[in-house]
Amino acid sequence: MTTLIEDRAGQGIDGDRDGAAYRVTLRRVTRSEWTKLLSLRSTWIVLVAMAVVTVGVAAGTGWAYEQRISDGEVEAGAARAVGSAFLALELAGLVIGVLGVLQMSGEYSSGLIRASLAAVPRRLPLLWAKALVLIGLTFPFMVLICLASFETVLLFAPSDHSGLADDGVVRAIVGAAAYPVGIGLLGLAIGTLIRHTAGAVTTLVVTMLVVPAIILALPEAVRDAIGPYLPITAGQAMFGMGLGEEPVGMLSPGAGAVVMLGWIAVLLGAAAVLLRRRDA
Amino acid sequence: MIEIAELTKHYAETVAVDDLTFTVRPGQVTGFLGPNGAGKSTTMRMIVGLDRPDRGIATVNGIPYAEHPAPLRQVGALLEARSIHRGRSARNHLLALAQTHRFPARRVGEVLAMVGLEGVGHRRAGGFSLGMGQRLGVAAALLGDPAVVMMDEPTNGLDPDGVLWIRNLLKALAGEGRTVLVSSHLMSEMAVTAEHLIVIGRGRLVADTTVAELIARVEVDRVSVRSPEATDLRELLIGLGAKVTGLEAGLLEVSGLTAERISDVAFRNGLPVYELTPQRATLEQAYMELTKDSVEYRENERTAA
Repeated sequence: MTTLIEDRAGQGIDGDRDGAAYRVTLRRVTRSEWTKLLSLRSTWIVLVAMAVVTVGVAAGTGWAYEQRISDGEVEAGAARAVGSAFLALELAGLVIGVLGVLQMSGEYSSGLIRASLAAVPRRLPLLWAKALVLIGLTFPFMVLICLASFETVLLFAPSDHSGLADDGVVRAIVGAAAYPVGIGLLGLAIGTLIRHTAGAVTTLVVTMLVVPAIILALPEAVRDAIGPYLPITAGQAMFGMGLGEEPVGMLSPGAGAVVMLGWIAVLLGAAAVLLRRRDA
Repeated sequence: MIEIAELTKHYAETVAVDDLTFTVRPGQVTGFLGPNGAGKSTTMRMIVGLDRPDRGIATVNGIPYAEHPAPLRQVGALLEARSIHRGRSARNHLLALAQTHRFPARRVGEVLAMVGLEGVGHRRAGGFSLGMGQRLGVAAALLGDPAVVMMDEPTNGLDPDGVLWIRNLLKALAGEGRTVLVSSHLMSEMAVTAEHLIVIGRGRLVADTTVAELIARVEVDRVSVRSPEATDLRELLIGLGAKVTGLEAGLLEVSGLTAERISDVAFRNGLPVYELTPQRATLEQAYMELTKDSVEYRENERTAA
């Protein structure tokens, strides 16, 4: 067959129609999703704004922390410094959670999903690729933000002499960076399950903010039994320093990570099943 | 080649596609015709695996679309008008699609040039006019240099130049030996574009035929006769059992007799005839005739038109 492209504007595409050269693979779909995520201006605006706010809040909490040290309210130490650094991390969780929602719901609202699924009719590589690029972009970004937040707190709280070498600090920074990324993956799953941006974002916010508030209002026995296992509390446990001042009990960082991964696996699994089964 | 066998799809209460069987062959433009709501879009969506059939199967070159290792090499589809994120540039939209198959990056520039968008590839698709959006959709469909090209109402929203462009493009693609399936609810459009026609109504196959056969099938039994002695001729023809209506002075429309019989009668009775024309069905009439039982939305269409 002569190709249209040879006739008109270029060289067309060589090779067997069913050959391996142009086979759809997870690696290729991931490359495609990377292009999609980076080519939206909103991705950058949102991430940069979130970085500025997170580090800015760390400056404020660092300053307040310094006051409390000099007032003798608290003793300086790595655990306190970490706690001050990551107070604004809920915001990062929400922002990256919404980014995850939009990765999929945005495809449905724009109609792009039809082109995407026509290119990847087996469908699941699309979901896995979106998860991989979300991790690939936001995790390194969050590590930098968390490092910057921690250093900012120390900058504004010169009475605290702790640093990265202190016990648990690096682990807490990595955990703090992983937490919003985990929320982002939950957002991606919710966006895939619900498909409408408004409904999915609402669901995410309810999961992150409203459910924990309701849990707090429950009788103590129930609260202590359920509280630590919510996505948000398990995620926060990943960067806990064992101060024991949280309103509900906290899992250990490792257990928190396991519970968080469990939530991600369950929700992404459900999203995968529905993505396969439903009409696009 | 697209093969569809016993394809059936229900949405809640309504039957969108009902036991549809047909084959679309390469090397010609096949028109996919039906009133709005007849099930054309649903059928096309099932061909590329976007919708799952309740029953039956659609295959592309022998196997279901989703089982091809490089699906975009098989089918390039232009479905509903916009399948583009408004915030992304045309070039990045195409690049992302190309990367799923690792098509060379130069291919993006090629298809942009083919549809005449090379100058605006960097612009965000949200600012595109309807026509430009449609061209971008065509570029995406051609990205994989596919064996099968499928377009759902591609001329919607295009200006006359754009309509002509699509028509020539489809013919050129078929001329290269590709399989081309294009849907429309406009018979007139298909009459000048397609060689073969698949007509559906209410999800069922109404006709699978060529344009010429379709006209022949709907024979219209009417002859118009122009004569200065129309009144006398009228009496004679009615006497032979014909139904005659007078359209204007000196012009009759006769049904129930062939043109040959009418001519003989006039000759034997010495009545001059200036014109004797068997009425042929137009493609539009043939189509209306075929789909009259299966029209769901014709009244709405009329209102909209």
